[in-house]
Amino acid sequence: MNIFIFGFVNSIILALIASGFALVYGVSRLANFAHGALYILVGFSTWLFLNRLGINYIVSILLSIIIVSVIGAGIYRLFLIRVKGMPASEIIASLALGIAIMELFRWRGFISEAYMLPPFVKGSVSIAGVMIDWQRLIIIGVGLAMMLSLWLFTHYTKVGLSLRAIAQDKHASMMSGIEPDRTAVISLAIGSALAGVAAVVILPLGNITVETGYMVLTNAIAVCIIGGLGSWAGVFAGAFLLGFAEILTAAFIGPQWQMVVVLLFIILTLILKPSGLLGKQKELEERV
Amino acid sequence: MRNKALVGHIGIKLLFILTILPFVCVLSPSLSVGQPIVLGVPISRGYPDGVDAERGITLAVEEINAKGGVNVAGKMRLLKLEISDTRDLEPGVPVAEALLAVERLIIEKKANFIVGGPIRSEGALAAMDVLSKNKTVSILSAGVLSPAYHKRIADNYDKYKYCFRTTGSVVPMIGGAIGTFESIKAKKGFDKAFIMVQDVAHARAAGNALKEGLEKKGWKIIGYEIYPTGTTDFSMGLSKAKDGMAQYLIPWFDMPEVSILMKQWYDMKVPSLPIGYIHALQDEGTWKATDGKVANSVVLYAKAGSVATKAIPMSETFVSGHKKKYGIEPRSEWTSTSYTVVYILKDAIERAKSLEPDSIIAALEKTDMMGTYGRVKFDPKSHQIIENGDPKETAVGMWAQWIDGKRVVVFPDKIATRSLELPPWMK
Repeated sequence: MNIFIFGFVNSIILALIASGFALVYGVSRLANFAHGALYILVGFSTWLFLNRLGINYIVSILLSIIIVSVIGAGIYRLFLIRVKGMPASEIIASLALGIAIMELFRWRGFISEAYMLPPFVKGSVSIAGVMIDWQRLIIIGVGLAMMLSLWLFTHYTKVGLSLRAIAQDKHASMMSGIEPDRTAVISLAIGSALAGVAAVVILPLGNITVETGYMVLTNAIAVCIIGGLGSWAGVFAGAFLLGFAEILTAAFIGPQWQMVVVLLFIILTLILKPSGLLGKQKELEERV
Repeated sequence: MRNKALVGHIGIKLLFILTILPFVCVLSPSLSVGQPIVLGVPISRGYPDGVDAERGITLAVEEINAKGGVNVAGKMRLLKLEISDTRDLEPGVPVAEALLAVERLIIEKKANFIVGGPIRSEGALAAMDVLSKNKTVSILSAGVLSPAYHKRIADNYDKYKYCFRTTGSVVPMIGGAIGTFESIKAKKGFDKAFIMVQDVAHARAAGNALKEGLEKKGWKIIGYEIYPTGTTDFSMGLSKAKDGMAQYLIPWFDMPEVSILMKQWYDMKVPSLPIGYIHALQDEGTWKATDGKVANSVVLYAKAGSVATKAIPMSETFVSGHKKKYGIEPRSEWTSTSYTVVYILKDAIERAKSLEPDSIIAALEKTDMMGTYGRVKFDPKSHQIIENGDPKETAVGMWAQWIDGKRVVVFPDKIATRSLELPPWMK
């Protein structure tokens, strides 16, 4: 039961971390390597609003998510639009921005172990004999709710449908009057907000460090490679595969092998199915 | 005409003063002030350990300078700090950066001495050759717990005699830890432990030594797990500790994510006492940040002093001085060691009456003074600080337990201010 509960939590955490990255790539074909930086930006800004300015926790969270959405949109509008269509330059530009944001925090002294966000609900509960804290249960709830909302958003709203249209066929959607740069800005804003939502629910489990940003980016890329870039179902599949693989490795082999298992999965995926478990981006090329 | 006479008058007076001044200085050595002594501080400034060390050194330098500086053969010389970022605590341990920082301090900044770091053993070991080549005396006061450091000095004294270390090594730390666990066993009857260590050299070495040492004493080791740096989930290990009914949880981590381990331990109500080298929990702000979930955990400090204890008077003055300057109590053991290191050097310079490396080395080898962590003495062959459990005799480490929002010293007995308490769900 331990393995099932903590494996499920771990998988949802990975899905939350990867969802923003996957959305941006799925819609605009942009690999936003500033994703990890935006994640910790929300963590630190929420901490600052809460502890330095004394703003209510919920308001601090909302403010931080709004700010990070604007920054995400700004990243596209000011930087990535200039290197649009050059994948290597897009990666370099977004990675450079991400590193600049993260190292700015280090430079400004955000390096103490005391940067932590409080849990939404204190205490723990016993489920089938396994003690688990409320924050982890909230993560499960938020994760599932976020996935459902995204599905509804991309299937039943005009903006969501335009995002999907661009992702499916850019030229056809342009002929229908959908403006690709506008959708890219929207996707970056939503993707950044998703990174923010992930940050505010996950960070109360531990502390906010600059290194967390790098780790989040690595995990998001790993999930998307295994699940398949540009596929929502793939993100879920990749997150659950990796989440349970990590927990099973920790339970039966040893936690020091967790990273090896993750890398092994990535290598196997790249060899056997480069498009990922449910990815569609390279599927045609693979068939050819 | 009048102006010319005035200028001439002032000129004569100035000439007189300038002529007299050197004689005044020579005839009154107590008034003489020489060139500052440059202390090169190579540390990782982007990480808490580096900041902690820098704070300790800065505080001591300011105190010493406020009292006139260091008396070098009758001439008072102020201390000047030159701090360089080694970045050696970054993932991947960029040793080349650390070496560059040390070289830059010696060659460009003309550092007379090196104090503080590099902090990672890998960086410090590599810097030994640079220090030897430049005949620059160094005293490490942050990090570097590898036994290899003093072994190299002992094996090749003539080459590495310039290197000293006050942080200690994992070998005496483990010896002290096993002694502490044995004393708890005698009081509480606990003999089952679950060891969790970080996947870095010093932690693995400590974990292996602890496992071996405790098993020899008849302990039952329920589990021994190694966690990669950056691990954010410890649920499986904690479940195993709980199922195996381990009475001790012995973590050995220097990564910040260890706070997740403590929060999970608290939330899962694991009936084991966390006691080990849990570096992130040394910080005074940990209680507030974790919402008190570190309650009852016992944290090892490689050296005492960052929590005030009456048994070591200098620790009290240091902690209050730190609080006055920085607004908080010292965060880690490296603040205490880095504060004391400046006083060790001052003491050696004043006894040596010179800045010559050989004279300083000879003086340091004869060091016998009280620091923030007890009596400071170096082994003359390995330049390793000598330590056991009595601060009147040697340097001491410290075990502090989080009780009611404060860090209180519970071991060693000679400096303890309170008895060990078990978590409520273990009573």
